[in-house]
Amino acid sequence: MNNKILLNPPKNILNIFYKKEFILFLVLILLIIFNSQISPYFLDLYNLIDSTFLFSEKAIIALSMTFVIIARQIDLSVASIIAVSSCVLGYTTSIGLPTFYVISLTLFSGGVCGAFNGFIITRYAIPSIIVTIGTMSLFRGLAYSFLEDQYYNKFPDIVVKLGSDYLFGYIPYSFLTFIILTLCFAFVLHKTIIGKRIFAIGNNPDAAKYTGIDVDKYTFVLFTMNGIFSALASIFLSGRLSSVRPNIAFGWELQIITMVVFGGVYIYGGSGSILGVFISIIILGMLSFGLGLLNVPGVGIIIFTGLLLIISIGLPSVIKYFRNQNE
Amino acid sequence: MILKFIKNRDFILFTIIFIILVAVGISNPNFVTLKSLSDVLTDTSILIILALSQMIVILIRAIDLSVASNLALSGMLISLLSQIYPDLPLIFFILLSCGIGTLLGLFNGLVIAVLKVPFIVTTLGTLSIYRGLIYFVSDGKQVYSHEFSDSFLSFIHVRFLSLTSLFWFAVCVFIIIYILLNYTKFGRNIYALGGNPEAAKYIGINENRYIIAAYVLSGFFAGLCGYLWVARYSVASTQIAIGFELTVISACVVGGISVMGGLGTVTGCLLGALLIGLIRNALPAIDISQFWQLAISGAIILIAIIINTKTEQRKEKSIMLEKD
Amino acid sequence: MFLIPMKLELTNISKSFPGIKALNNVNFYLKQNSVHGLIGENGAGKSTLVKILCGVYQPEEGKIKINQKEVNLDNPKVSLRFGISAIHQEPVMFDELTVMENIFIGNHIIKKNNFIDWNQMTKKSDEVLAALETNIKSSDKVKSLSIAQRHIVQISRSLAQDADIVIMDEPTAALSQKEIQELYKIITNLQKQNKSIIFISHKLDEILEICDEFTVLRDGGVVSADLISNTSKNELISNMVGRQINQIFPKKKVEIGNEIFVAENLFKKTQFKDISFNLKHKEILGFYGLIGSGRTEIMKTIFGINKFDSGKLFFNDQHVHIKKPLDAINLGIVYLSEERQNLGLTGTMSVKDNLNLAMLEKNSNYMIVDELKNLTTAQKYKDKLNIKVSYWSQLAQNLSGGNQQKTVIGKWLATKPKIIILDEPTKGIDVGSKSAVHEFMGELVNEGMSIIMISAELPEIMGMCDRVAVVYKGLIRKILDVSETSSEEILSYASGE
Repeated sequence: MNNKILLNPPKNILNIFYKKEFILFLVLILLIIFNSQISPYFLDLYNLIDSTFLFSEKAIIALSMTFVIIARQIDLSVASIIAVSSCVLGYTTSIGLPTFYVISLTLFSGGVCGAFNGFIITRYAIPSIIVTIGTMSLFRGLAYSFLEDQYYNKFPDIVVKLGSDYLFGYIPYSFLTFIILTLCFAFVLHKTIIGKRIFAIGNNPDAAKYTGIDVDKYTFVLFTMNGIFSALASIFLSGRLSSVRPNIAFGWELQIITMVVFGGVYIYGGSGSILGVFISIIILGMLSFGLGLLNVPGVGIIIFTGLLLIISIGLPSVIKYFRNQNE
Repeated sequence: MILKFIKNRDFILFTIIFIILVAVGISNPNFVTLKSLSDVLTDTSILIILALSQMIVILIRAIDLSVASNLALSGMLISLLSQIYPDLPLIFFILLSCGIGTLLGLFNGLVIAVLKVPFIVTTLGTLSIYRGLIYFVSDGKQVYSHEFSDSFLSFIHVRFLSLTSLFWFAVCVFIIIYILLNYTKFGRNIYALGGNPEAAKYIGINENRYIIAAYVLSGFFAGLCGYLWVARYSVASTQIAIGFELTVISACVVGGISVMGGLGTVTGCLLGALLIGLIRNALPAIDISQFWQLAISGAIILIAIIINTKTEQRKEKSIMLEKD
Repeated sequence: MFLIPMKLELTNISKSFPGIKALNNVNFYLKQNSVHGLIGENGAGKSTLVKILCGVYQPEEGKIKINQKEVNLDNPKVSLRFGISAIHQEPVMFDELTVMENIFIGNHIIKKNNFIDWNQMTKKSDEVLAALETNIKSSDKVKSLSIAQRHIVQISRSLAQDADIVIMDEPTAALSQKEIQELYKIITNLQKQNKSIIFISHKLDEILEICDEFTVLRDGGVVSADLISNTSKNELISNMVGRQINQIFPKKKVEIGNEIFVAENLFKKTQFKDISFNLKHKEILGFYGLIGSGRTEIMKTIFGINKFDSGKLFFNDQHVHIKKPLDAINLGIVYLSEERQNLGLTGTMSVKDNLNLAMLEKNSNYMIVDELKNLTTAQKYKDKLNIKVSYWSQLAQNLSGGNQQKTVIGKWLATKPKIIILDEPTKGIDVGSKSAVHEFMGELVNEGMSIIMISAELPEIMGMCDRVAVVYKGLIRKILDVSETSSEEILSYASGE
């Protein structure tokens, strides 16, 4: 029998409506319309561009975190890794090392933290949630014990430039980096065998192992990468803030995870897309921006984010419940 | 027989506590006076209560990350109320605090059990939501000690048998949870549910009910601690107990409560909390700055959980006969 | 008119699930004190029936009567109250709790003040264990018990619950001959204590030996029900299958070549020792033994999932080191686990991706997925195995059980293996499909592959294998030439004699 079968189900326009990414896209459009009605400042191009500063650093980490979550893991220590690597950034600058070493050591410190996570998780087979709860404290604690109540405010010029300046005067470097990384991550996840393996690991780690995939190696690398990208984000962040205290990026892990999960990535792994996460980041960024224009305090935005996270995951259950009632 | 006793986890914890007392006592004799130790016990009481209630949640393979925010919010709400009506009876404030905590815990339970939102996401979310609500209700302002009534603040400092009533609260909670987990069907079913959720369903254990119950209990005790914390430190603010949930979890982990569920003793949890509390108090006594607290906390969680994992490791069932 | 009272009557029971009618107008009558065999292929509806009796499912139609009174078994607790207790094939146990707690789980003895009465429970637990004449102690933690012992704890649980109706689901699957005889004694014991037993087994010899009456299910309906004395094994088989099975083992004759794989003195502490055997080209080598005898552990180690402490492996006369599954796969050795769903299929990935999962490197260019090669591979094996799928992006978890299994097999065949290790390939599969699997195995060796087959079914071993290694408690007792041995001989080695 040699009947070729279709690659995809017959093109039914209605199918698009069920895709998570489309729903997110609709939400984005609605949000833009809503926001622009609410505030005249919203659609101002410069304002919009500037608003990206607030989320670009988190967004970079969210991309890497997407891989981690798809692989059925979670990393609560990212914000603490930012704290550690910003300390390294500040310290190496303060002792006068050349810029190249400053940046390399910063990235390296993030990698070391991530590798530490990866090591404990794979070597002792301990769930990542509890390990990263521990390292969350350990890393930030190290930053606290190192800095105590001091702070760094001197960084290499390039760092300051990366964090707060624009390419060609228009495009913030941090946002640009985020866009470029989005394309890279999307390519790796959806077009390479690395991505296929990550999906396999996330859906069924045992089956993946039996298929010859080195689950431990991938896990270790994913956590190390998460550390490196956290360090990268800390470079942009430090450059933007120009001041690093040990409580830097406090609470960021929740926001980053929200960006990922809200983008349709299943928290228990195995499915999700970079496109979904990208749209989710834009939505959440615009939401914060819009609320900010309305003078809602930062705290309100945090509460809103928490609620949004719960609702976005809880909603399908509610819908399923009502659908079952109707049957 | 003796070897088994020595390997017993509770005994080991007890020994470690003893060793630390001795070691610190040598370098700082003031630490081991009756007064100082009684202070340590008082200081650790809230941690004990929260660890014991967190234990119930961890036993069913979940975690409640929102306890500290719950505590802070409950505490703030009753403090604001006491600003307006300072003369209400103390028992009213305590019960109200517990009630608020219970509702916050119920919310967690319902979202997890009914809406099927994973506990990680839910409690991470409520951790922020509850903490944020504190800002809203208090406008970011604090409630200071002089604004509380005397009865509100002084009760926990009353001493029975030279130990504060705060400590006796912890003792009562210990007894209640000990009986609950060891002498009631509910408690034994919690162990079963955590140990083998699939099998538990066959036995007729309603998983959803137990999830909700566990989070309600966790919330109830968090609410209680809301009152206790505010009364002890004589201040209610948006910052209280930030990050404390990590200390609570570390106490459970050190106490031998397995994150895989279904394993862990109440006495172990108590000892774990005592050990963590002791370390927190011992550090300043030997001149280690408070800035190290967080790092040490994290290191302890990691070390404890690695040790737990190694001892829990299911010894591969032996297939071969002994003689072969 | 029945002279013996009816303990349990099911009349016109029907139960459907999306897309399938699991039970269709089933009548089932269990007499008091009888051992009633429930027979049927997998998918015939046995487990649905059991779940209805246990209160896990509710029937859409039909009545249930216990002691001639109609009842509604709405949930497991109700079912327990009516005296129905099930002993599952996979013991429902709580490893970290003691034997006593496992016996009383869900059914604790409580004092007047609603607190648990540990003293009474210990006493009763000791009594029940003594009645079964076992040396398991109430205070033992279940995680230290063997499978046979766990079955005994399950039976103790039923006794402690004062169950009148005891359902036993494949209770002898993991037991040695001696333990099986002891189980039979226990069953007779239970009958004397006025219990009625529903005995589910696919070992027809066992049914004929121990049961008083039987019911045969096929495709959700009752095909026949009668006294055991009124039937025969062949009649049972033809009722189960609905047709005459003549040729159950269609193995074509192949020329067996030279040895291609040798295992020498494999040893792993507490798991297995002195494991030495060879595999010849185009041969089917069986590994027979009871559940828990160590066969899977040996194969998992050869495949690289676990490490062994000492020993050597040779492939085509070359000393090879297999440290992880990828090493084995690269050599051409693949392993199909008995837990087909858990260890084989990646549910949320498409069928196309599943088929290519072991071929990722080969079907790619510098790590980038080559869609064309993927499609070609997927198409080839879909056709070869006749996998029913409408479009490539269909998620593997949405396929039927049989097609899922084919997908897993397809994944491995795509790697063009030389040695295939099959772990219980027909476990839980109905007689009709078993035959298809065997035929398929025959094709594989014909095409030049060699097979190691782990099986606990003697007829399958006798029919399909050229040689069989008999394993008991981690040791190979004997390697026999199938054509020169008998079922009895294999069985006695497997039981440790």
